[in-house]
Amino acid sequence: MKFVNTLCASLALTVAAAAAFAHHSTNGIYDEERELELTGKVISWKFINPHPTLKLEVVNEQGVAEEWDLSYGGSAVTHLVRRGYTADTFKPGDVIKATGHPALLEGARGLLMEGTGDPVREDGTAIIQR
Amino acid sequence: MKHFSLKTIGAAVALALPLAAAGPAFAAEDIPNLSGVWQWGGCVGPDGQVGQGFGGGFTCMLLEEDDARLTERAKAYRDAFEEAAQPKYDCAPISIPHMWTDPYSHQIEQLEDRVIFTYGKDDVVRTVWLEGHDHPKPAVNEFFYFGHSIGRYEDGKLIVETSKFTFDPQGLNADFKLASTTQKKVTEVYSLVDDKLDLVVTTIDPFMLKEPWIYHVRSERDEFPLSLPWACDAEASRDILKLAPSDYPNDPPVERIQYP
Repeated sequence: MKFVNTLCASLALTVAAAAAFAHHSTNGIYDEERELELTGKVISWKFINPHPTLKLEVVNEQGVAEEWDLSYGGSAVTHLVRRGYTADTFKPGDVIKATGHPALLEGARGLLMEGTGDPVREDGTAIIQR
Repeated sequence: MKHFSLKTIGAAVALALPLAAAGPAFAAEDIPNLSGVWQWGGCVGPDGQVGQGFGGGFTCMLLEEDDARLTERAKAYRDAFEEAAQPKYDCAPISIPHMWTDPYSHQIEQLEDRVIFTYGKDDVVRTVWLEGHDHPKPAVNEFFYFGHSIGRYEDGKLIVETSKFTFDPQGLNADFKLASTTQKKVTEVYSLVDDKLDLVVTTIDPFMLKEPWIYHVRSERDEFPLSLPWACDAEASRDILKLAPSDYPNDPPVERIQYP
């Protein structure tokens, strides 16, 4: 698998104020006191119910590629459609930047993007057109 | 032991209906025009105002994991039951009343002898059988995932009473493993307030609740049609379980049935 230099992970861990809301189905799964920013390459984007799934390849500080599961929490296709998402929003190979709450489970690579904004391109420009 | 799908049960009940339903059973002035698509409701507070936002608008519809209304057995069941065993991870729908905490629109169709509720999630269709039309009643040994619903119009309101629920491990709250029993009864009272849909829900289950659980929500009409079919993906439904370790690690791993 080929990695692009610019994918060198930006794992910016910051302490953020507690999220204003949380879907209860993700209760106890993510650390909603923390925010993590990931930059990586889209592996797959499934625009399906009950929850669309976005998988991202991120190169960690040791230069090792890791697969991350990015979640929209309780949102389903119908909610994301209203926010401007489509089945073609992300394509494999797209480089994107996403911010969210990391999973609590030690070693797990999951990110909850609920209340943390939509993913953007690597240069920070919007992907989602409203 | 026989197993019935929701659709099978619905079809069977529909076929059992008399072809010629009785005439109008309710006075026209008693029947509010509830038909249409309605947005997810927001909680109505004591001041009569509707709450705003994802976190502020739906809390009345939630039974929290340590809610004072829960019985000791409800809490014991909650603690023993593993998250991964919740039916929702096999794409099973969530029944009433917890279903209404999910942020989806729903559609109401008022027919002569019944009212049909279609929900924007899980392809759920509930039929409320209106009184006065000689609809068949379930047998004593019949129980249903969404119960058996009987309705009537009264003073401009639609009153729906639902009982005959199956035991449901996610019947009071699917996120906190709060179960409901065959003794659950849900009463819904629908009316119009300034062309908004007003709904008061009362739930009792003496095994799991010490007192009735009552909440009041209001919805606005939705300009969008429902986005159906739901087409749930079972793998996606349990994606999150990868992040939740098993409560029972010494038990053999569970190989789930792969439904065609």
